[in-house]
Amino acid sequence: MTSNQAHESAEKWEVQLRKGSLELAILATLWNGRLYGLEIIRRLEKDSDLIVVEGTIYPLLTRLKSLGLLESHWVESGSGHPRKYYQLTPAGRRRAIEMSQAWTKFSASMNRLLAPLGKGKQ
Amino acid sequence: MTVSAESKERIDDYLKALRSCLRDLNDDDAREIVEEIRSHLLDEARDDPAAVAFTIAALGTPEEHASRYLADDLLSRAQVSRSPWLMLHSFFRWATLSFAGFWILLFSLVGYFLAAAFSLCALLKPIHPETAGLWLLADGPDHSVSLRLGFGSIPPGGRELLGWWIVPLGLVVATGLALLTFRSGLWSIRNFWQRPAQVGRSISGRTP
Repeated sequence: MTSNQAHESAEKWEVQLRKGSLELAILATLWNGRLYGLEIIRRLEKDSDLIVVEGTIYPLLTRLKSLGLLESHWVESGSGHPRKYYQLTPAGRRRAIEMSQAWTKFSASMNRLLAPLGKGKQ
Repeated sequence: MTVSAESKERIDDYLKALRSCLRDLNDDDAREIVEEIRSHLLDEARDDPAAVAFTIAALGTPEEHASRYLADDLLSRAQVSRSPWLMLHSFFRWATLSFAGFWILLFSLVGYFLAAAFSLCALLKPIHPETAGLWLLADGPDHSVSLRLGFGSIPPGGRELLGWWIVPLGLVVATGLALLTFRSGLWSIRNFWQRPAQVGRSISGRTP
């Protein structure tokens, strides 16, 4: 494998990793209160380094709502058009906690596994 | 900052096309999706008029954007209704979005086709008792097995394998295949349906 191919492969893996964490990231973003779609996109980018395009976020929010994890309502904004706000339902909060616990456990075990790599770099 | 007339026209054109692509959804859902995207585009246009084109590109074409909702809707309804037709319809849409969807569609088509073939053979046996059935055909040193519906004549040297047993066995195999294909389809939806997502890493500013 050439170094370009290796770099491409590593990038693809990273993209898959980010895709896998997207649902948890969205639930976590809504943990402290309601947000509308654009706010969620900006919060994700600012707090988690995740860039999520509009074509992805809105269908995903609709799906999470259909699963009963989110609820939504329209709020008139000062800018003259209403905005659709999302917030976690009780089921959504439970799911966020479950996913967060699974994530913490998994990342702790991966960190243990990866510790020698960190020493090797030094 | 107010939204320019040009941006508004661009937004309206996009949303009109999106609404047309969402016609298979129920009216309330389609309207809500369009209004949410309108709200998003107006917010982006207000902050930066040049962002409308960029944002519309990030949404994808109206067909692409709508297909994500339609696939979700179809697959959810297929799971609930348990209708094989709805499931196949949803697999057609899934196949346009991913390779996994394509293979699942192919597997389902083959499964239902074979089930149909066996059941037709069983049903046509009483009508074509001499020619319908499961046949072993000899072609020199090679042999092949052929499920025949009874139309046309049997090549010389052919031998029927099951006789009238093709009727009950054919119906049992057809039912089994149809059920297996259906259950595999449901299992595939539960385990493999993932919305195609575009997720990137922030480098500088927002890049899709």
